[in-house]
Amino acid sequence: MKISKKIIDNLKKGGVDFYLSVPCKLLANMIDILENDKDVYYSAVPREEEGMGICAGAYLGNKFPCIMMQNTGIGNSVNAIVSLLQLYQMPVVFLISYRGTPGEPVGAQGGMAKITEDILQTLRIPMLHCSSENELDKISTFSKHAKVVESPVAILCDFNLMKDDK
Amino acid sequence: MNRFDLLNKLQNILKDNLVICNIGLPSQELYKISDQPNFFYMLGSMGLSSSIGLGLALSQNKHVISIDGDGSVLMNMNTLATIGNRAPSNYTLLIIDNGSYGSTGDQRTFTDEKTSLKDVALGAGCKNVVECSGEETVNELNKAIDDKDNSYVIISKINSGNVKIDPIPLNPITIRDRFRKFIGKVKYL
Repeated sequence: MKISKKIIDNLKKGGVDFYLSVPCKLLANMIDILENDKDVYYSAVPREEEGMGICAGAYLGNKFPCIMMQNTGIGNSVNAIVSLLQLYQMPVVFLISYRGTPGEPVGAQGGMAKITEDILQTLRIPMLHCSSENELDKISTFSKHAKVVESPVAILCDFNLMKDDK
Repeated sequence: MNRFDLLNKLQNILKDNLVICNIGLPSQELYKISDQPNFFYMLGSMGLSSSIGLGLALSQNKHVISIDGDGSVLMNMNTLATIGNRAPSNYTLLIIDNGSYGSTGDQRTFTDEKTSLKDVALGAGCKNVVECSGEETVNELNKAIDDKDNSYVIISKINSGNVKIDPIPLNPITIRDRFRKFIGKVKYL
């Protein structure tokens, strides 16, 4: 719970006040925290691409949105990221559980893991890769950076960082 | 009645609300009929008009109308489940259902065959789902806006067909900034 709490605290410190998720077991604790947080909006959403649209609307309505998802969700969202969030220069934080990184027990997750950073790089999305607890302190500044550069940004949280966060 | 005729009839209602307008001909036709700063024209991301409108309705109090199409809703059908479970009362989804992909040459969609978006919306959990003719849409949209306790999904059944029209001569940042300025209290600009 310590890791999840630290991530949410830093996102809130960065100004994020609107959260969506397409669940992942590595995000479960963060979802629990957000469901009980009366200061921010939280909802699950069926598909990441749809979530990108909801985040765009939330930004237009003066919220600072974050969508939490597995890295697989980036694959589902490429056109929405490019022809909505980037076209209109909308700051949105992607909080990504980085499935398929070392420690991952499901071999099939490896495929998207191998190309996740390449996709983000191709999309020119700033990345913060967190593999240890001390790196989580960078999340608040990194979130604020999304607003400064008016762009989506991606925070990748490794499997091994999240897996023992009981 | 086709989409252009319908948008013409709706313009006096639309101008008093926040409008998210679907990509392609719907946006181009609306722009030609009456351009307003409170109209957000989609220049990409087909399928997401309903989702953008939902996020906007959840984030501020003004009434939001998402103008969508049958082809676009078919592309993002999970949106109806999210709307059924989460839409606030300041949200109306107006699906202009002409049974065709208008912007790409009027190819038939599945709503011109067996699919009923009304039945899908009801099954997805949307409570106030209205299917009506183009002529009835003005009245139904007014009722939806006046009801301060419920959100609505209106499916306006019209004929296919488009008018010859140019792309919108606004850049995306202009569309974004004047829309956010209209909403006011821009916290993050």
